[in-house]
Amino acid sequence: MANPSPSGPILSAQNLCVESLGGKERFPVLTDLNFTLEPGKILGLVGESGAGKSMIGRTISQFLPHGFAVTKGTLKFDGEDLVGMGADRRRDLLGRDIAFIPQEPLSGLNPVLSVGQQMKEHLLRIGLQPGESWKLRALKEFEAVHLPHGAALLDKYPHQLSGGMCQRILIAMAFASRPRLLIADEPTTALDVTIQARIIKLIGEMQRRDGTAVIFITHDLRLASQISDEIMVLYAGRPAERGPAKQLFSDPAHPYTRCLQLANPNISGPRRGLFILPERMPGLRVLKELKGCRFASRCPNVMEACTQTEPPLADIGPNHIAACIRTEKTPDIVPPPLAPGREIASANIHFNGERLTKAYTTAWSPFASRSSFKAVNSVDFTLGEGEFVGIVGESGSGKSSLARLVVGLDTPTDGKITLAGRDVTANRNADKAFRRDYIQMVFQDPQSALNPRRRIGSIVTQANEATGLLNSHRERMVRAAELLKEIGLPPDAAMRFPSQLSGGQKQRVNIARALCTLPKILVADEIVSGLDVSVQAQLLDLLLKLRDEHGFSMLFISHDLSVVRYLCDRVMVMYRGEVVESGRTEAVFSKPQHDYTRSLLAAVPPDDVNSEWSPVLAEAGYQVE
Amino acid sequence: MRPLPLWLKSGRVQTGLVIIFILGICAIFAPYLAPNDPNEQNLLAILTPPAWADGGDLMFPLGTDSLGRCVLSRLIFGARVALTVAFTASVGAMIIGATLAHIAGYFGGWIDWLIGRVVEIWLSFPPVILSLILMVGLGTGLRNVVVAIILVDWTRFCRVLRSEVIVLRRRDYVSAAQLVGFSHWRTITREILPGTLPLLITLMSLEMGVAVIVEAILSFVGMSVGSETPAWGQMIADARQNIYEAPFNLIAPILAIFFAVFGFNILGDGLRRTLDTRLTQTERT
Repeated sequence: MANPSPSGPILSAQNLCVESLGGKERFPVLTDLNFTLEPGKILGLVGESGAGKSMIGRTISQFLPHGFAVTKGTLKFDGEDLVGMGADRRRDLLGRDIAFIPQEPLSGLNPVLSVGQQMKEHLLRIGLQPGESWKLRALKEFEAVHLPHGAALLDKYPHQLSGGMCQRILIAMAFASRPRLLIADEPTTALDVTIQARIIKLIGEMQRRDGTAVIFITHDLRLASQISDEIMVLYAGRPAERGPAKQLFSDPAHPYTRCLQLANPNISGPRRGLFILPERMPGLRVLKELKGCRFASRCPNVMEACTQTEPPLADIGPNHIAACIRTEKTPDIVPPPLAPGREIASANIHFNGERLTKAYTTAWSPFASRSSFKAVNSVDFTLGEGEFVGIVGESGSGKSSLARLVVGLDTPTDGKITLAGRDVTANRNADKAFRRDYIQMVFQDPQSALNPRRRIGSIVTQANEATGLLNSHRERMVRAAELLKEIGLPPDAAMRFPSQLSGGQKQRVNIARALCTLPKILVADEIVSGLDVSVQAQLLDLLLKLRDEHGFSMLFISHDLSVVRYLCDRVMVMYRGEVVESGRTEAVFSKPQHDYTRSLLAAVPPDDVNSEWSPVLAEAGYQVE
Repeated sequence: MRPLPLWLKSGRVQTGLVIIFILGICAIFAPYLAPNDPNEQNLLAILTPPAWADGGDLMFPLGTDSLGRCVLSRLIFGARVALTVAFTASVGAMIIGATLAHIAGYFGGWIDWLIGRVVEIWLSFPPVILSLILMVGLGTGLRNVVVAIILVDWTRFCRVLRSEVIVLRRRDYVSAAQLVGFSHWRTITREILPGTLPLLITLMSLEMGVAVIVEAILSFVGMSVGSETPAWGQMIADARQNIYEAPFNLIAPILAIFFAVFGFNILGDGLRRTLDTRLTQTERT
């Protein structure tokens, strides 16, 4: 079906503007978007959340939120005007010539239909060769995306499959029609790092096979630079910089690109400090009134002229443009020096876990025998005073189960837990009271971790409510103000509700609550995943600062190896409930001993765009259950 | 002046509240509002048509029944029984159902299993038959009507609330509360209950409508309050024999029941739309 025209771009935008028209006021959402995408090329769209990345995908499909409309400029798909075209023609193009891969593989598939039914529906819609059965075609497409046991897959429902497999099925569907344009909106954000590498490689492979043009939307500049031909960095709805991927990454011209790069911890070479981008991207309301450069309020190179007029997108090299009037100063932006490495001389062991094992059993019922599954299997580890220990591993490796054992939300089925010399394995009420002052947890999802019906001031001082100390409202508010100051929130935040805060601010509140009683140990479960790199850098920095003040030690669970490398003194690698490797972070990351550690490390896109990214593409773990 | 809370802005909630307010006024001030004594029999004026029809009497605005009692007065006094039953029975059913739901959902395990099975067995009895049997056992009277409705309908609360409690129980903030040393009681009342409250209020207002109907059924078969207390179900039963001569005697109490149940249901629906956190903003508007 694909009939790529030999000449001319597949997608081109000229001065494209999208505005929100809701209510009486108009707000610009996307401004001055200019780009062309040649057949077979990959354009990476990079930016923080709220930069308008996804809005571009939605503009192409004309699936804009209510009240949003294209108010200026043109958007052409292979010469056809996408904005003005009739709904019939657009419906014809979407899913056939323009394919999508969504962010959440599980919500991309219908949970009540089997994979086969959905595949059939899609294949019949895009049309089959004469005499071809949909089943054979489906199997052929599954084979192309390296899905084993294709025939068995057809009868499965999405919830029976892993996220990686669902994403492969969606990729198979997207490429089944040999589309001319593919829009991949953060296709790997919800997946594990090793699966991410495989999915990215797969998209690249399919794209080369069909000569498809791809728009790859991601928040990860490093990832985008690995797979894209060209990158466009968006800031607050306007391109900040656009250029060839490798050049843009190794020699960024716009300060924002440089800052984004420096805010992300490196995975190889000597550790460096993180560049902390202050505050947040301006909101729509602020943008409307803004005269000068959008980035001026956060830019380290800002000067008087920047705040006067919006800088134009100027050529700074072949195919390389940037919206900055002093690009020559950009390389001068350097990360702050790394905080001096601390010597963990103290042999003061806070936490000691021996042979920790946790088996989960199915729900109680008198009519069924209970089956059990070992989530954590014989794990030994210690936490010294002021020590940050990282746990890395894929989802399902038992990281979170171990965290629940450590804080005492679960009682181990076997093994021994000693807290400051006291055996608290049995987790009796007295043990719990002892534990509570000693160890606290920062939860993963700030959405679920903060009670939406409590005010921030009440949340952060929740611990006082249980102990009976500081019970009066005034005393609690005083303590809340102290805590909010420590974590860098304005004092008036105490009276707000969680829904009135941003994701990064909620995570700060989450940390403040755990710090309220000044515990000796913090357990942090994936507390920076799902946050923008700038917010992540702010939080990591905050944790280090708080350690200097309070000297707590921390068990830091993350799937992001570069973050663990930046933050932790020691690291443990978990695989299927067991610790397969542990040691000093530097040693483990530079000379990994276990195969699994090596494959985890290889799955991270390298810092240097010119070095080969060769993730281990073993198909282990992809078994149809 | 503070802006109205979101739930009070809903037209459905306002409609429901106005209806219930009118009924409440009728019930509380019944002796002042009713033109006649509801039990006074005027055998000289039986089956009088409403005042606007031929042969109507202004003394009996909605006419009289087969014993010459004023229909309007009986309707107004009937609101007392209906509303008393609606409020007390739904509060009682809510307390039992919600308590068990929170225990089952929060603790899980065998307690959850046990409560779940009791609810299932309870639900497998036809509710009207169960309440009739209870009334036969307990004897008539306002208090027993309330007890019967509570015993039949607590399961509704338990079922629906338990699943909501389970959802909230898995939120990290409940784990966080346990970690800072909250007792079970405190965790349930401070962390979980505020989350289930909107659903609880909604269910209660729907339950009031159900209670009005069940009370009408019971008084229709003479199993509710004694014949000396006017009740809407009783009025329907009385009017049945003269359905052709005086259709309005039948229509009036039916309209009253309809009006009350409609008020409670539309209030419940409006509350569900505005208080339910699971509904998105777009669905609300």
